[in-house]
Amino acid sequence: MKIIQICVQILIITTFLLIGNAIHSYAHLPIPGSVIGLVLLFLALYLRIIPLKLVDVGAKLLTAELLLFFIPSAVGIMNYPDLFGIVGIKLIIIIFISTVFVMMGTGVTAHFLSRKKVQTDDFKS
Amino acid sequence: MISSLSLGIVLTLFIYMLSKMLAKRYPYLWLSPLIICPVTLVLFLSVFHVNYTTYARGAHYISLLLGPATVAFAVPIYKNRALIKQYATAILGSLVIGVIIAFTSSYFLAKSLNFSSQMVHSMMPRSITTPIAMDLSTMLGGQPNLTAIFVIVTGLAGSIVGPLVIRFMRIRSASARGLLLGMGAHGCGTSTAFSIGELEGSFASVAMILAALVSIILSIFFF
Repeated sequence: MKIIQICVQILIITTFLLIGNAIHSYAHLPIPGSVIGLVLLFLALYLRIIPLKLVDVGAKLLTAELLLFFIPSAVGIMNYPDLFGIVGIKLIIIIFISTVFVMMGTGVTAHFLSRKKVQTDDFKS
Repeated sequence: MISSLSLGIVLTLFIYMLSKMLAKRYPYLWLSPLIICPVTLVLFLSVFHVNYTTYARGAHYISLLLGPATVAFAVPIYKNRALIKQYATAILGSLVIGVIIAFTSSYFLAKSLNFSSQMVHSMMPRSITTPIAMDLSTMLGGQPNLTAIFVIVTGLAGSIVGPLVIRFMRIRSASARGLLLGMGAHGCGTSTAFSIGELEGSFASVAMILAALVSIILSIFFF
């Protein structure tokens, strides 16, 4: 029963994907169809066109098992044998350094902007 | 023909389930399904001399679910809409800064080490969630399979350095902690954030999804 419910919900979500893909190709938008579908599903929920419980379980499964869906692409690394040598080590170092920069920049900005907000709230009260 | 179709699907599902069971029993980062699953599959295919094209003939049916998974991100955004409204400035501001740093630092670091332009463009979307990173990689002229690898390495790197950045920078607010983890390391950062706290996790999942949208919008205008 649960499996049928999940399948139906995934089909509903897939319908939004297909609509997104259709808009992407007919309107020649540079945004991927999946992202257009995401926005449409959000709007449908927000405007109460469809209730949350119609997609909730299916969405949870799809996002929880995301790793499974991109494993086949990750296995594509076997077509790039260079990556297993010094090139791979260089790339890993770049990724570590860049990730530290990204996290510091995001954290400091968020800290600054949300602290300002708390202060104004305090001021109001 | 039929056997090669089912090979990719069955093998991937089987190793995925095994690696999840392993991770449940031994929850160490280096035993995460993110590493174990692709590594086991690559070893298996190499040992049995199956080339990637044969494997992918079946396995690409699994990849088709990346599209619906992206659409499904609308649900956590909808559930956290009150949080997003309340912290709109902090979320949007920090994500725009984060995305700009992610793209430019990947670009210049890779460029300075003389990587090919395909490699550089595959690196740029590495800090956002895989399905959208792969789409963006195609848009920028990168190779989506390479991007998937870089996204995985980013997730692992972020799970290691994220808590260190938080401690070193003395970041105490749940919003800033969650946002930096979700922005810097997508799904991996989000699960790290949930292990710190519920609120940190919510901010991280919002950051992960909105960072992908911000990346698309910024790359349409600037790249």
